[in-house]
Formats: sequence, structure tokens, C-alpha cells
Amino acid sequence: MKKLALAAMLSVAAILPAAAQETVDWMHIASIPEEVALMEAAVAEYEAANPGITINMQFLENEAFKAKLTTLLQSDAAPDIFYSWGGGVLTEQAAAGVLRPVEDLVDPAVAEAIGAGGMSAFTRDGHVYGLAQQVSEVVLWYNKALFEQAGVDPASLETWDGFLAAVQTFKDAGITPLAVGAKDKWPAHFWWSKLVVRLAGQDAFDAARKGENGGFAAEPFVKAGEMFLELAALEPFQEGFLAAAYGDASGYFGDGKAAMHLMGDWDYGAMKDNSASKAGIPDDQLGILPFPTIEGGAGDPTDTLGGINGWLFHKNAPDAAVDFVEWYTSAEVASRFGNAGFFIPIAKGAADNMTNPFKVQIAQSINNAHWHAIFFDQELGPQVGGVVNDISAELAGNALTAEEAAELVEEAAADIR
Amino acid sequence: MTTITTSPAAVAPPRRARRYMDRKSLVPLLLFLPPALFLFVVLVVLPMVDAASFSFFDWTGYGPMTDFVGLKNYEDVLTHRHFGTAVRNSLIVIAVSLAIQLPLAMWVSLALVEKSWGVNAIRTLFFLPYMLAEIAAGLIWKFVYDGNYGLVPTVGDALGTSLPHVLGDKVWVMPAIMLVIVWKYFGFHMMIYIAGLQSIPSEVIEAARLDGVKKWQIVRHIKLPMIWGSIVISVFFSIIGALQLFDLVIPLSNGGPNNSSHTIVTFLYQFGILRMKLGFGGAVSVMLFIACVVITVVYRRLLFSREVD
Repeated sequence: MKKLALAAMLSVAAILPAAAQETVDWMHIASIPEEVALMEAAVAEYEAANPGITINMQFLENEAFKAKLTTLLQSDAAPDIFYSWGGGVLTEQAAAGVLRPVEDLVDPAVAEAIGAGGMSAFTRDGHVYGLAQQVSEVVLWYNKALFEQAGVDPASLETWDGFLAAVQTFKDAGITPLAVGAKDKWPAHFWWSKLVVRLAGQDAFDAARKGENGGFAAEPFVKAGEMFLELAALEPFQEGFLAAAYGDASGYFGDGKAAMHLMGDWDYGAMKDNSASKAGIPDDQLGILPFPTIEGGAGDPTDTLGGINGWLFHKNAPDAAVDFVEWYTSAEVASRFGNAGFFIPIAKGAADNMTNPFKVQIAQSINNAHWHAIFFDQELGPQVGGVVNDISAELAGNALTAEEAAELVEEAAADIR
Repeated sequence: MTTITTSPAAVAPPRRARRYMDRKSLVPLLLFLPPALFLFVVLVVLPMVDAASFSFFDWTGYGPMTDFVGLKNYEDVLTHRHFGTAVRNSLIVIAVSLAIQLPLAMWVSLALVEKSWGVNAIRTLFFLPYMLAEIAAGLIWKFVYDGNYGLVPTVGDALGTSLPHVLGDKVWVMPAIMLVIVWKYFGFHMMIYIAGLQSIPSEVIEAARLDGVKKWQIVRHIKLPMIWGSIVISVFFSIIGALQLFDLVIPLSNGGPNNSSHTIVTFLYQFGILRMKLGFGGAVSVMLFIACVVITVVYRRLLFSREVD
């Protein structure tokens, strides 16, 4: 009897701590204080509703996060939940077995709310490794006051020729036409990517990936380089753009020093945060232009470039991690971030009440897109994506020919095919 | 460099090689060597062997290594279009360190070796940059060089011209980085020299002065030869330090603009680690390791031996 009681006590003792205390490490890259405050509030709310579960928020800056993740995920300090852009990096992580497949755990209602596109972005070989939370799009932000000052009609930028003419007009008026953070390289790769989206379109891009028709050395990719060089020849970027990181360029645009900035929708908040005044460009002075269309380009005019971002689960993640992310990406929670203008939530209905006119406009354009291309540097994986970033920064600095650029991308792509 | 012991063997000094056979020195050897040796093996030798083994595989860093590729990674490194730039930059860093930094440190140390008013404060001032973390120093200088908000454009405005965005300019980026390196490390070498100069017996200098030897001749024929050991050490630190330069460059230029300011180690980081090509990175690190070993061995043969004798 005594033994039985002891055994019972021991088993209770063994179960209790597990049920009473569970810590979930959650690694994010959000740096805007107001957004982090919303995240902390959500964590507090979740912890209150789920006693015994502690969500431990960990922050890494964007560039540091990308650099450290590989090592981190294979160490004892691996976070249970971490940020992801999907794409080729996710493919590598899934193949290496550092992720936890969660298709059996995810509530079908949650998958339904996220939608087929969002779920497939985080699925590899039939396994779901994470949940999508937000969609983003790279757009041409512009400063209305500077357009007025230089006498440029935004409608004239509809075509590539009109765009180049406008860049020249800004130059003549002594206004920096474009801001870009080429030190980080990926901001420059948006230019090459957008040109490829316009010139090659989805079919040619997919074919190039498989190595068909000469792969990335094919004509539309060379042409993208040529048009990028055509733009670079006008010296449209701010002085010292090769030494400017994303934050510098974002602040430069936010300070009203450049007419345009080709950047993701997140720059709406980041531009304010990075500006000297922390206020950035007032909403009534800020506008969004679609990327210029190119005559003869194979891409659909509705094609967009951007991301479907969300959260992945490490192989040692507890069930509670999945439960938290299901709740966190739900329309109920994600809409708070959408309404505050931090990102566009993917969950059905979450974006319906967004009031920020820019985010609403971007959400519509993604919804109407024939092809929502994922950021090339993420989609193609670090080996090829890294080269795309390299050549983009070099094209922006006029330091490479279009043929060389296309050849280098193809070389890297052939290497991993 | 003689060892003072009370053992009978000391009466007739044994040859160097036999010294460790001495029982009295064997005990401390067995007692004190293993912990250091253990740490050295676990933290230095094993990771090195590990990195060397990566270099024969095509490996992303995730999961087990399975794709053996022989020497392909080495071939890829040697034919990489930015590897030549990285090697060239590392050589420039060595050259500038030896040709500008060390003479500067020597000059300053000759001026500051005599104890007089304010000398200590100036020494500390020159030594401070060395105590600063590399990343912090890099960030400080990034702000100094920043072409829009930094010190450089302010100075340019005061002079009535616009100075280049040095970190975004292929021509200026290396000189800009070199300036930071000299600023940061010359104080360290200055300290080595000062310590050397202070160990010179003052009678020697005094005797020379009484014999009417000129100041410059004292430096050339007495001071420099007598601190030869310090110079040998500081040159060695300079070369090896230059080959391993990494954490100043990352915050300053991150290897840019357009990969023109990579050193061998930032090249390894950018194209090996960040691109998830750890085999490629392993090959770079093996080559760098071999270069360091060769330099060390040759250098020891040529110079350290002279010091010992």
C-alpha cells in the first residue's frame, strides 16, 4: 500500500511539472517598437488563457537571423517557433529534418482560413512545416510632394520608357529619383526580380529553374539585366547607395530625400521608424505605383512580387507551439496587426477591416495577381538567391554586363540542379 | 634563458633536449599540461579537423554530409571571381600594417618611452582604440564615414567641397578600412615596443651619450637591435592578424561595394557560410590555415631563431 502511494505520488510529480510549466521559444525579427508591443500583448493574452504555457520571445535582427539560423537550428538553443520566408531555404531545412511536420496537428479550420496558397507555401513533399501569417508585395512607393516639385505626372510612369523619362526629369530637377540599400544587396535584387517578372513571366521563370531553354542565361533574363543597366546608366540612386543598408535607404526615402523607393509593403512602417523625425512621409504625401509595364514582356500585368511569410516549427517543438501559432495567425489576432498597418494578414477575413489605404490597395493587388512570385533570393534558396543578390547590386553599380549577370545566375542554378 | 635548479644536473648543465627528462620538471608537466592540452584539442584541433573534412563534401550545413566531391570545392574557390580580390586585399592589409602601422608605432613609442608629464595619458589615449571591441569600432567608423549624416560630409561642407561616400566607393573603401586598422592597432604595437625599450638598461644609453653618439644613431645601433625580439613578435602579430581580419570589415563595408573589400575571412563568411556552402567555406579555411602555418614556420626559422641565440 505504501509502495503504491509512493508510486502514485511519484507519477503525479512526474506529470505535474510538465503540465504546469511548458516554455515555448519563439524567435521573431520584428523591430518596430509598436509592432513588438502588439506581439507582447498577444503573448500575455495567450499565457493568461493557457496557464502553464510560457511563450519566450526572442529577437534577432533580420540580417543576423539569416546568418545564424542554420547553426541555431542544429543546436540545443534552437527556437521552437521561428520566422520564415518559405522558399528554397525552407526546402533545405525540411530535407535536413530540422523541422517538425505538423499536418496531423493543424486544425482543418485553420488550414481552411489560411487558404490553399498559404498552406502550400509551407508544405514540402506533402508535409506541413509551418503556418503562413502574412502576405507582402514589393511596390514602388513614391513621394507626391517631390513629384509635384519636379512636375512629373505619376501616370506617366506606367511604361518603362515613361519611367526612365521621369527618372531623368528628377535628375534634371536636382532630386534623387530612387533610394536603394545596395549594401544589403536584397533591396537591389527587387529591381532585377521585378524586371524578370515583367519580361519572363511565370512560365519562363519555372522553365529556367528546371534548366530548360538555357535556364537563367535565356533571353528574358539577359534582357532584364540590360534594362537594369539602362536605368543604372542614368545614375538614379542616392549618392553612396552601395554603402547604404536597407535601413539607411528606407530612412533616406522617409526623410523625403528621394522620389521613389522600390520596397515591400512593410516599408510603410519602417520608412517612418527609420526617418530622422520618426514620422516619415505623411500619408497624404505618400503613394503607390505599380511597377512599369514593359512592351513585349511575357509577364501578366497583374503579376506581383512579394512573399508569403509565416512561422516554422523546429523538430523539438511541443504541441503547444502549434497551438499558439494557430491562434496567433488566426483572423482574430492577425487582424490587429493588419489594422495597425504592420502587415497584411493572410487568414480569411483578417484583412477585411484594414483601414490603412496602402495596405488595402496592396492586399487587393495580391488577390488579383495572376502570379504572386516569391522573393527570388528566398525562392531560389541561398546558393542561387545569393548570386541573384550579388549581380543585382553589381548591375545597380554598373559593374557587370547583362550577359555576365545572367551567366552567373545560371552557373549557380546549374550547380544545384 | 637559463633555468635555475638545485638538482645535481645543474652543475653540469644538460643539453636542452634532455631537460624534460628531469624528474622535477616532469611532475609539473604531467600536472599542468593535460588541462591546456585538452582544451586545445577540443576547441582548436577538433574544429580544425572538422572544417577540413567539410571541404571535401558538398554540404549545406544541414544534416549529415553525404555528397563527397573530392577537391571540387578547392577548385571552386580558386576560380571564384572574388577570391583574387579577397587575397589581394589581405595582402594590402599586411603591406600597410608593416609599412605604415609598425613604423608609426615605433616612432610614437620612441617619443613616449621617457617618463614625463602627460606621457601616461597620451599612451592610454593611443591604446584605447585597441581595447574597443572590433564591432564597436567598426560601427563608430561607419558613422564617421557615413556620406549623408557622418563626420566626413560635415568636414567636406566645412571645406566647401563634397567628399566621396568612401564606403560606397571601390577606390576609397580599402584606404578607409586601412585607416581604421592603423588607428585601432598601432597602440597595441606601441605598447609592445615601449615595454621593449624600457627593458634596455639605461647605462647603455648613457654610455653611448657620453661617447658622443648622436640621438638617431642611438636609436639605430642600440635601441632597435636591443628590442629586436619585440619587433619580431609585433611583425608576426601584424601578419597573422591581417590574414584573420574580419570583424572590422563586416560593420564597415560588409565586403562591399560589390564585393570589392572582402578579406579572406569575410569572403569565407559571405560565400561559404551565408550561402550555405560549408564545403566551399571549409576549403577556404583550410587554405588560410595552410598559409598561416607556412608563414609561421618560415618566420620562426628566419627570425625567432636569431632571437633565441
